[in-house]
Amino acid sequence: MGEGAPLTTAALAHVVVSGLATGSIYALMALSLVIIYNATRTLNFAQGEMLMISTFVGWTALQLLRAPLLVALLVAVVAAALLAWVLERTIIRHAISATHFDVLIITLGLSLMLRSAAGLLWTHDEFPFPSFFGSRPLGVGAVRVAPASLGIIGASLALMLALGALFRWTRLGRAMRAVAQNQRAARLMGISVEQVYSASWILAAAVGAVAGVLIAPVVFLSSQMGLVAINGFTAAVLGGFGSMPGAVVGGMVLGVLENLAPLYLPASIKHSVPFLVMITILIVRPGGLFGRVAPRKV
Amino acid sequence: MRAAALGSGAVVVLGWPWAAPRYFVFLASLIAINAIVAIGLNLLTGYTNQLSFGHAGFLAIGAYAAAILTIRAPLVPLPATLLAAGLVTAAVGLALGVPCLRLEGLYLAMATLAFGFVVVEAILNLDWLTRGNDGLRVPAARIGPWALTTDTSRYYVVVTVAALLILAARNITRTRTGRALLAVRESEIAAQASGVHLAAYKTLAFVVSAFYTGVAGGLFALVVGFLSPDSFDVFLSVDFVAMIIVGGLGSILGSVMGAAVITTLSDSLTGFQSYRPLVFGAILIVSMLFMPGGIASALPKIQPRQGDRA
Repeated sequence: MGEGAPLTTAALAHVVVSGLATGSIYALMALSLVIIYNATRTLNFAQGEMLMISTFVGWTALQLLRAPLLVALLVAVVAAALLAWVLERTIIRHAISATHFDVLIITLGLSLMLRSAAGLLWTHDEFPFPSFFGSRPLGVGAVRVAPASLGIIGASLALMLALGALFRWTRLGRAMRAVAQNQRAARLMGISVEQVYSASWILAAAVGAVAGVLIAPVVFLSSQMGLVAINGFTAAVLGGFGSMPGAVVGGMVLGVLENLAPLYLPASIKHSVPFLVMITILIVRPGGLFGRVAPRKV
Repeated sequence: MRAAALGSGAVVVLGWPWAAPRYFVFLASLIAINAIVAIGLNLLTGYTNQLSFGHAGFLAIGAYAAAILTIRAPLVPLPATLLAAGLVTAAVGLALGVPCLRLEGLYLAMATLAFGFVVVEAILNLDWLTRGNDGLRVPAARIGPWALTTDTSRYYVVVTVAALLILAARNITRTRTGRALLAVRESEIAAQASGVHLAAYKTLAFVVSAFYTGVAGGLFALVVGFLSPDSFDVFLSVDFVAMIIVGGLGSILGSVMGAAVITTLSDSLTGFQSYRPLVFGAILIVSMLFMPGGIASALPKIQPRQGDRA
C-alpha cells in the first residue's frame, strides 16, 4: 500500500480485523502472564518459551503419531502443564520467599535455557503448522476476512471468558486472588500458597499452549516463537498489568495499532511499534488503561 | 597485604601484552570494556535497585557516537572523543531516566528492554548516518602523533580508561552519594525520610550508568573497529545483567570479576553457539538460587581485614 494512497473502508476494515486477530494472540499471551502475576506477583520471562516448547511437543505428536490436530492440542496442553509443574517445583519453589528481582532473573535464565534446548532438540528452523481453520477468505459484506483471524479471535474470547469465570466463581480462583492480595493472610485462612503457585503456573502454561497451537500456523513454528511474549507483556501493560479485561483490550489495541502503523508511518517502523507503545504507556500512564498504581508500602 | 595484591595485579595487567598471545590481548581489552559497562550497570541496579535490560542500547549509542565523530572529525583527540561518547550517552540516559522515575521493578526492566530494541531499530533506520545493516568501519584513532593500530596500544588505552573509571566509581560509592544510593536501594521511603532527594539520586544513577556505558561504547568502537546493529542485541544486555549477578550486586570489584568470567566464558563458547544460552541460563539460575551475593560475597573471607583502608 503506497503512502498517501486513499484507503477504502473495506481495506481498512480488513486491516483492523487482521489486527484484532494478531491482537487476540497478544491477549492470550498477556493473559497467561497475568495469571502468574496475579497469584505470585512476579513476571515469568520464560512464558513465551514454555509456549514454544509445548507447541513443538504437539507438533511432534502430529508428525510421529499422524494424530489429528485436536489430539496435538491436547498433547501440547498436557506437555505445558507438566513442564510448568516440573519447573515450578524444582526451581521457582526455592525462590518462593525471594524478591521479585530474583525470580525475574531466574525466569530469564529459564527462557534462555528452554530456547536453547528447543534449538538442540528440534533445530532452529521454521516449520509449517496445520491450522484448525481453512484458508479461503470469508466475505462479510464487502470485507474479506481470513477464517484464521476469526477463529483466533473467537477462541481467544472463549478462553478469556472461561478464565474470568474461573477466577471469579471457583474455589481455586478465589484462592489465587487471596494469595495475590496477601500471602500471609491467605495462608492463615488455610490456603496452601505452594499449591496456588503450582496451579497458577500450570494454568498459565495451558493457556500458553492453546495460544501456541493457534498462532503456530500464522507465525510458523520455530524456537524464536517465544519472543511473542514481549508483545504479550506490552499488551498486559497497556491494559494495566494484573487486569484480565485489560489484558484482552490491551492485546487487541496493540494488534490493531501494529497493523495500522505501517499505513501511516514508514514501513520499517512496524517492529518498533510495540516497544514505542510500551514506553509511551509506561511514561504517560504507568497504571495502564484499566489498572491503577498500587500505593507503595515501606 | 592489600598493597601487595594491588601491586601484583597492576604488574599482571601492565605486563599482559608481553606475556600473552595477540588474541588474548584483544580479549583482555574486551574484558576491561565489559567491566566498565558492568560497573555502570551495577551503579544503577546494584546501588539503586533499578534493573536495566537496555544497556546494549547505551553501549551502541556510545559506540556509534565515537565512530561517527572519528570519521567526521578525525582531528579530535581520542580522550575528547571518548568523553563526547560518554556525554552523548549520558544525555540519552537523562532523557530515559527522568520518565523512568515513575517506574520500578519489572516495569522498568521492560521499559529499558524496549529502549534497547528501539535503539537497534533506530540504527537500522538512520542509515545515512550509521550505514544501517552494512555496518560502520571505524578508522584507527590517534593520540597526538601515534595512530593506535596495534592491539597492544589499544589495550593500554582501554586499561587506562578502565582504571580511571574504577577509581571514580570507588569514590562515588564510598562517599555521601554512594551511601544515598544504597539507602535508596534498601528502602525508598526510608531514604526519603532521611533527607535523600529520591528523584535526584535515581536520575543521577541513570546518568552516571549511561555515561560509563557510553565511554565503554567508545572504547568498543576503538577496539573492535567495526560496528553493526546486530552486535548490540538484547542478548548483550542480558550478558551485562549476568555479569553483575555473577559478580555481585553492589560491588565494584564484583563487577570487574563478573565481566571477566562472563566475557571469557562467552569467548570460549563461540564454537558452540547453540549451547551458549543453555550455559548462560544455567549460570543465572544457579547464581540466583545458590549464590545471590555473587563472587563478591565470597571475597571478604579472602581479605578479612579492612582496617588498612585509606
